[in-house]
Amino acid sequence: MPHNAKSQSAVLRLYQPFLWLYPAEFRDEYRRELCLAFLDRWRDEHSIAGSLFVWFHAIFGILYQAPREHYYMILHDLRYALRILRKDLPVTTAAILILALGIGSTTLVFSLANGLLLRPLPYPQPERIIAVTESSPKDPNETTQISFPNYYDIRARARLLDDIGVYAPGQSALRGEGSAERIPGARASDGVFRVLGVEPLLGRVISREDDVASGPKVVLLSEELWQRRYGRDPHVLGRTLQIDDSRWTVIGVMPASFHFPDRAELWFPLQMDPAKAPRTDYALRAIARLKPGVSIEQATSELESLLEQIHRENPAVNNNWVAHAIPIREFVAGSYSKAVITLLVAVALLLLIACANVCNLLLVKASARVREIAVRTALGATRRRLLRQLVTESLVLGLAGGALGVLLAYAGIPALLSLIPVDLPLWMNFYPDYRVLGFAVGISLLTTLGFGIVPAFGAFHTDLADSLKEGGRGGTSSLRSKLLRQGLVIGEVALSVILLAGAGLMIHSFSALRMQNLGYRPENVLTVSIDYPENRYPDGQPARALLRRLTEEVSSLPGVVSISFGSGIPLSDGWGRIFTVEGHPVDLKDMTFINHVVVTPGYFRTLSIPLLQGRDFTDDDFDSPRIVIVSEAFGKKHWPGESPIGKRMRFGPPKNNEPWHTVVGVVADSKYGQYKGADRDSVYLPYNSEITPGALLVRTSGDPLLLQQALRARVVGLDPDIVVSRVLSLEQIIARVSWQDRFLTVLFTAFAALALLLAAVGLYATISYSVSLSTHEIGIRMALGASVSRVRAMILRQGMTLATAGLLIGIVVAFALARLLKTQLYEVSPNDPATYIAVPIVLVLVAALAAFLPARRATRVDPVVALRHE
Amino acid sequence: MRPFTLSRDTFHILVALADRDRHGYSIMQEVSERTGGEIRLSPSTLYSAIKRLLEQNFIEELEERPDPEHDDERRRYYRLTKAGRRAAMEEARHLEKLLSDARASGLVRKRA
Repeated sequence: MPHNAKSQSAVLRLYQPFLWLYPAEFRDEYRRELCLAFLDRWRDEHSIAGSLFVWFHAIFGILYQAPREHYYMILHDLRYALRILRKDLPVTTAAILILALGIGSTTLVFSLANGLLLRPLPYPQPERIIAVTESSPKDPNETTQISFPNYYDIRARARLLDDIGVYAPGQSALRGEGSAERIPGARASDGVFRVLGVEPLLGRVISREDDVASGPKVVLLSEELWQRRYGRDPHVLGRTLQIDDSRWTVIGVMPASFHFPDRAELWFPLQMDPAKAPRTDYALRAIARLKPGVSIEQATSELESLLEQIHRENPAVNNNWVAHAIPIREFVAGSYSKAVITLLVAVALLLLIACANVCNLLLVKASARVREIAVRTALGATRRRLLRQLVTESLVLGLAGGALGVLLAYAGIPALLSLIPVDLPLWMNFYPDYRVLGFAVGISLLTTLGFGIVPAFGAFHTDLADSLKEGGRGGTSSLRSKLLRQGLVIGEVALSVILLAGAGLMIHSFSALRMQNLGYRPENVLTVSIDYPENRYPDGQPARALLRRLTEEVSSLPGVVSISFGSGIPLSDGWGRIFTVEGHPVDLKDMTFINHVVVTPGYFRTLSIPLLQGRDFTDDDFDSPRIVIVSEAFGKKHWPGESPIGKRMRFGPPKNNEPWHTVVGVVADSKYGQYKGADRDSVYLPYNSEITPGALLVRTSGDPLLLQQALRARVVGLDPDIVVSRVLSLEQIIARVSWQDRFLTVLFTAFAALALLLAAVGLYATISYSVSLSTHEIGIRMALGASVSRVRAMILRQGMTLATAGLLIGIVVAFALARLLKTQLYEVSPNDPATYIAVPIVLVLVAALAAFLPARRATRVDPVVALRHE
Repeated sequence: MRPFTLSRDTFHILVALADRDRHGYSIMQEVSERTGGEIRLSPSTLYSAIKRLLEQNFIEELEERPDPEHDDERRRYYRLTKAGRRAAMEEARHLEKLLSDARASGLVRKRA
């Protein structure tokens, strides 16, 4: 084979690209040698087979050796990084802790977001499941439910839905075989199970044949219930259970992974009659499964046109309501998503502060390392090599901080859960999974870039000769670094001000929420759900006698001030109804809802709701049920300028024959249905034969929870078949309904406090460092007679200048960003003056402290020692 | 326990440098000749090993050219250091011991 110059250069052109597989340092060092050796070797072979072997051997060698060179280099860099980091243990520890706090908080919040918004729901192809809702065109929040006849018609006509099902969550009393127990459950149409696509563990699910008016009394159990009450008895199928007032035959057991809705453990067929159910009674929730490939928009438009069609066919009940298709995830978790996103933004700011802080630490360190880097450069280390080394150091810090942060997040989850007083749906799991871990790794790397790159590049902006001469004390080169450090501190302060302002708004809003006038006094009220077997205490005389007995029993307990029964517990149960006021007929389309509350005498006294006009209900009203007491706002709205007493109203749509009710009293407005935001007006009815009062309210003289045991014993003593459940004080109920606000406020405040702490540490570190650099100058000043207070003032001024700059920037940005919090705030403006006064005061105090500590230390230095420092 | 172990390739490189200073390709040729073509180092294997040996101070790169007449000034020449020589001798002794053990146990036939 001829080996002329031309073929040699061609061979080299082919060989050289493979050398790119090597680390740059190795390549730079040995490229020429490798090429020469390869060329020699190639020249020595004269056969084609020999040449091929040389090529194969060389390429194989590179493929084998290049990764090893990378590995050696990383190992070398890591060892060096660990040695350097160990040498400055305090800075390393501080950096890792700060990063762990930042990454840990971020990961914690991301776990929340993951549990709520990302983790797949436990159903096959969950993206095809939607909620179907109807809402008033005037107020989209008025309902998230659907009426039975509309569901029935949609089921028959929808072409884009595989299936649709409706359900109504509820509680049932399970009696017999052990103590009576109140169990969460649901009445569900057959479609629910097909939509969710979940198979039973035993037996079968509810079928269309079960789900007809007066169909068979069958029930499904959850696996837990099957285990708890029936010891996993395989013969449970076909058994009849006493639930509420009838006997139900078990047809199946659902697997433990199935929880729908919420924590249901019993499922009954809905068995509603489409001919009898009112079309405007939005009592059901609907879920549907889209046909493959159908989009939410397509489903929405089909549902809208179906509902319009239904309205046209039923003009008497046409209220112009509109149908919606909502992805199931949004339906169940949508209310949390805004809060979670707010928290993510907050925690991202905190992470930025942590980055700035560590960046600052490394900058200080980098100034101290100028000499080391200059020496290494002089000894021939390339820029790339040094950069790589510095980035490795940052990576070690970042990953160590990240690992510790994940541990912190893991440990923080129980604390987070303890802030949630309600039972979340069981599929909401906040423990870290691969998504959270991936996120943590990603955020650690990102963080590393954030804090590591600036100091690494800063390290090269130094004049070699300068740094060697100055003995590593900085000097001209450190001016840039000083400005950068000060910029970072200003940024940290500004970011912490933003978080502080956010926290201030949240705290103010939350306290406004908790201080609001509820219209009743929630302290010392115990609320209890009572279920009595209605077949033994049918409405009328027997039920009335039972209520009277219960009232006597409970009233005689020590500490009981007054008691009353009601159709629901305030802020927990609600029933909205439309109504017509006599003489003011309103079109169905314009009807509004009121809270329909049935109470026994003493209700207003028990809750301390003031009676403003007319009279309270009395025991005699049992026999005259056509009277109502209305809330003040209701009276003013419908009979402006007149007394509502003696006026009449009735329930239901305008064209029906429900009887008129006469107003006998007016009470002050109170929050019944909704704790946060505007509530509906309320209309109270005396207990009559139509509605079972399942809620018992007790006002006590002391802690209402102390009454629990005695009350339970008294009621069960009267009849063991009466189920007592949901025993909570009204204040506990308020804590439950406001938990999201509290949760958000607590976390936001914690993040703001951390942010403030980090910013203060950053300020402190910067001032300390600059003091340590000017020890000499301070010594001279003091030797020349400068007073301690003057030197302190000088240093303090330095710190306060930085803090004030950050404060001003932060306030301006916070003012602009606060609008984003608007939907989370209750009766507090995003421009709340109190917040914008309090935040600067807090910040200035903390900053003054952070700057004062180094100032005090500086003035304690003996001038002689300071001068000798030279 | 020996303080270090030399890989087969590394040992061959040290042996190749034992009699005189060489440049890279010369080492490759020497190893190949010495082993009757059984061991052929690829350039990449050679220079990775050289880098390690330099780091361990077993060899050094020469400033001056050893053989001005045949010198190719583009090439780098390497020389065995004292430490390298010691390491190679240690390794050779170890191999010798191993061989005599193998002979004693009858695994390998004794020399005539």
